[in-house]
Amino acid sequence: MEFELEGTEQYALDSYQWLLERILMDMSISNMVERARLIIRPDQTLFIVSLKVKHSSGKRPVNDIAELVGQEGGTFLTIKDEAFAPRLLATLWRLYGRERVQQLTRLEIFVEGVPVNEVSDLSLDPEEEVRSQLLDAMWRLLPEGLKVRNEIYTDDVMTIVATEHGMTVDFLEEAKKVHKNMIGEAA
Amino acid sequence: MYEVLMYDGGVHKVEQLYELIEDVGGFILQKTQVQVMITITMAIPAEDRPLIEAKTAELGGKVVEVPLAGTEIAVIGPTLGRHHMPHPICDIAEHLRRYGAITIVMGLARGRGRKTCQISASEKAIIEEYDAAIFMLGNFKECVTHEKIDLFKDIQIPVVTVVGPELDSLPHCEALVCGVGRKVERMRRSEEIAKLEEIADRVKEVISVRRQEIEEDPLFVHPSEVKDALDDMDAVQECLRPAPVVLHVDGLRVKIPYEKHLKELEELEVYGRKLKDIATISNCRLGDSTMIRIKTKAEVQEMYVPKVD
Repeated sequence: MEFELEGTEQYALDSYQWLLERILMDMSISNMVERARLIIRPDQTLFIVSLKVKHSSGKRPVNDIAELVGQEGGTFLTIKDEAFAPRLLATLWRLYGRERVQQLTRLEIFVEGVPVNEVSDLSLDPEEEVRSQLLDAMWRLLPEGLKVRNEIYTDDVMTIVATEHGMTVDFLEEAKKVHKNMIGEAA
Repeated sequence: MYEVLMYDGGVHKVEQLYELIEDVGGFILQKTQVQVMITITMAIPAEDRPLIEAKTAELGGKVVEVPLAGTEIAVIGPTLGRHHMPHPICDIAEHLRRYGAITIVMGLARGRGRKTCQISASEKAIIEEYDAAIFMLGNFKECVTHEKIDLFKDIQIPVVTVVGPELDSLPHCEALVCGVGRKVERMRRSEEIAKLEEIADRVKEVISVRRQEIEEDPLFVHPSEVKDALDDMDAVQECLRPAPVVLHVDGLRVKIPYEKHLKELEELEVYGRKLKDIATISNCRLGDSTMIRIKTKAEVQEMYVPKVD
């Protein structure tokens, strides 16, 4: 992971770089971040953190993860790639509700009242989960007292600007500039 | 003058040590037994230490110095949020316990932030019930030197401040330890353990200064002598809270309700005098406990000197 640090206090920059590394390591997602940029100016009460995510293999269609068999009253799934089992089950629960999705065994699921073609059209996006984990990591990193926060996110870059009292136009502009710079590098 | 020591050894024939402690006029402050091993924190007259050391050697145990025994110390963080807990605040608290201190961990209600950080009068009053306070302040120099110092400006007990950035000095505190900022994992590297040792050393120094101040105008009785009397009370014996009686440098905290047991406490006899005559008994801010501050010899004698108009 590549770090870019900018600020008025070297100790704060070094310690927050170390903190971010440890938080990402603790959450087992350090290999998913390509670049990180921190701007810390305690005299202005400004904290900007921007992370660029590594591209993963992209979306996986459900029929790639599981064998689908249409049955009377629903669809029967046998999971082939076990690594996707929890995420597939969670997605089905979210879409159809727990009453209609039954986990028969560890790798067998029956979805009640849903035709096979509808289930096969679904796909799982691993980046969605990574994004949510990254957001959690950034919230853990941000100083607790900086409660006024603004988030900017695009496909692979997330930026949070935080301050204590009021968010100024200058702070927002700076955050946008940092965000664009991170995207620019990605393009 | 009493000295507080800790015996660390086996339980075999440990009754002989109990008897010796009693014979020399000492007190057992705390006993912790784990299977066949036991640690005993005791207060003994300083001149009888060689006798105790000889007995512990005979029993195959050892005597450990516990310079912070008989103290209760508060470790305070800006909040109880995951940004500050459990590391490094709990690490510091845990390390001080190794030197015999009873420690508590406290988070302020609105201690986070730069311009918005604050401490309430009731929080200050709670902190002042302890022998010393350790304030953990974070990573930003600008924030610590300009704003956070107000948190402990008016605290009337010794304050040790722990901060991340290197600072030469900080006002309103008795000691300063730099290089310990926010942590997200346990302090277990050698340099981190050295920092914990440094914090413990600073706390030992401020407690030692506090004890010297008390020595100049000594207490009427040692807190452990009051503890000995308190231990016979039914309410204390029935108390299920851990360490029902906690020693302070100049008194004690008894974990029984103040309103319910005030009369009983006031009438408690210590060396032929009532406790209300030799100590100030007050309600504890932290609920269902009672604070006892022992008066100095001069204060007690003054009460018995007839006033001349």
